[in-house]
Amino acid sequence: MLKRVLIANRGEIACRIIRACKEAGIESVAIHAANDSGTLFTELADIVVELEGDTIAETYLNSEQILTIAKDVEADAIHPGYGFLSERAEFATAVIESELIWIGPPPQAIVEMGDKMTARRTMRAAEVPVIPGEEVEGGIEEVISAAAKVGYPLLLKASAGGGGKGMRAVYSPEEVREAAEGAMREALNSFGDDRVYVERLLSGSRHIEIQILADSHGNTIHLGERECSIQRRHQKVFEESPSVALEPELRQQMGDAAIAAAKAVSFVGAGTVEFLLTPQGEFFFLEMNTRIQVEHPVTELVTGVDLVREQLRIAAGEKMSCGQLQMRGHAIEVRLYAEDPSNNFLPAIGDLLTFIAPQGPGIRLDTGVRQGDVVTSDYDPLLAKLIVWAPSREEALQRLARALDEFIILGCTTNIRFLRELCDHPDVKDGWTTTDMIERLWPEGWSPDMTGRILEVAYLAANAAEISGYGQKILNSSIGNTGESATPFTTLSRRYP
Amino acid sequence: MELSHLGEEISATIVRDGTSFLLGDVVAEVDDLVWITIDGRKQPAHVAKSKDAWWVHFAGHTIRLDIIEAGFSAAGSGGGLTAPMPGKVLEVLVETGQTVTEGQAVLVLEAMKMEHRILAPRDGEITAIHFQAGEQVTGGDLLLDLQAE
Repeated sequence: MLKRVLIANRGEIACRIIRACKEAGIESVAIHAANDSGTLFTELADIVVELEGDTIAETYLNSEQILTIAKDVEADAIHPGYGFLSERAEFATAVIESELIWIGPPPQAIVEMGDKMTARRTMRAAEVPVIPGEEVEGGIEEVISAAAKVGYPLLLKASAGGGGKGMRAVYSPEEVREAAEGAMREALNSFGDDRVYVERLLSGSRHIEIQILADSHGNTIHLGERECSIQRRHQKVFEESPSVALEPELRQQMGDAAIAAAKAVSFVGAGTVEFLLTPQGEFFFLEMNTRIQVEHPVTELVTGVDLVREQLRIAAGEKMSCGQLQMRGHAIEVRLYAEDPSNNFLPAIGDLLTFIAPQGPGIRLDTGVRQGDVVTSDYDPLLAKLIVWAPSREEALQRLARALDEFIILGCTTNIRFLRELCDHPDVKDGWTTTDMIERLWPEGWSPDMTGRILEVAYLAANAAEISGYGQKILNSSIGNTGESATPFTTLSRRYP
Repeated sequence: MELSHLGEEISATIVRDGTSFLLGDVVAEVDDLVWITIDGRKQPAHVAKSKDAWWVHFAGHTIRLDIIEAGFSAAGSGGGLTAPMPGKVLEVLVETGQTVTEGQAVLVLEAMKMEHRILAPRDGEITAIHFQAGEQVTGGDLLLDLQAE
């Protein structure tokens, strides 16, 4: 049994882990950079320590400082969340060498899966199908000659990569040199490692991933799939389970392949094996994520398994508590980002002047922000994950649409309307979801459907509010309606933007 | 108050009637929320004002209306000299051969019952006008040619 867990992360996933700890009777320690002071996760944690330093490298990626804090507060385990240090084998090793419990897989499994070329070789040896392609030893000339062997269209990928960085789709030999240079440069800048390999581009494919749980008592199970085909800029925005493309037989085959992949690297903990599923029904290993994933709630809602709680159990050396896979109903997660979907999904910043989340049956909200918070460009623009569950896919989409209509965020541009229109799109309703669908549906970019009288209403509402002194009315009443007098006592209740 | 949406300045006549505000047949009443009566149904709009914009949420849509400060134009990165949305050309404010300065209104478009002033995105000379007052345009139509100087 763990006693005190330090969470080496921030935002919504830190909140998620802190809550799991509370439910399990474990104390939680939040660490945060100065610019995260007063945010939700620091409010929820039992113990809060501010990190020294300004940059991400000096704070959330500073393994030495984090380990020192863990010792100081007498934590007995570290949960890395996702991103940041979660897939850094050196950090996992350092945690274990500090005689702390690492809530994650053995460092060796992170190494073997973290390098994508090594992972491809390991998977081939374990007879898990990998995407046709070539590993590359060498520099740009070797990449170009490997490309010729693989054929076009193809995908260049950073061996140390992830999150779409160091990745380029190439459609003809004329483009390959420039694309390879770009991919290698980006890979070097992002990961300090410019090795790039080549895969055939399987267009029209679905992104299907299998959730894995393994404990140290020899049990390795899969918890069904998540389909995460709808992506923008190689990042997921809409994730669901089950996938319309999987019949029980294919689910079984992919589940078995995922278990084989996990066992091939002696995996322990919660992880995800990602596959591409072609329109012909062939599936190929993409990569394995050796951590909890952003979209894990989708699996939690359809299987009833609390994945973070299982992570805590497994890390403490206990057996996992879940048995046979039972999937029930349908779950969908959408990621609400502070971004402008009508301007190439560029990140947006602003003040969360209004933040009203939807309520009602089948709704789960995982977020690290609340009304009054400021969205800056310091971190990832993820504002919240909205997850719905309903008995069927059709009803889940209806529920999601309803929930998105209820979701009110003012003061910062978000992708809410984009997600809302996805719910009504015939291809989404039919389940014709592929990784290239946003480009396929909106080749010229997306813009909101503004038919009807919305702009007219907005214009009237803004003017009516302005003329009536809306907002100021609230301010005035809180300082006693005088409007002018501002004594040191009454100014305390004023909120400055 | 002057407002713009996606770089296009918009204006319409709002009538105040006691505590109500009217734009055509749409009525707004301001309470803790702004209550909008449209097509015989009363529904809430959530509004908030940031430093430079009014934000409105209504019927699942979020609209940001930038406040144009007096003395500044709404010359935006948006529409340029193409029609930002379908509508009717109300007025052409320039002639072929005329030089214009950035932010100068060159054409007035009516869409969704409101007037949108299309502003010159840069200094230049008008070399062609493709629509006359009264004509319908569809979104993306090229309205004018503007040759940079």
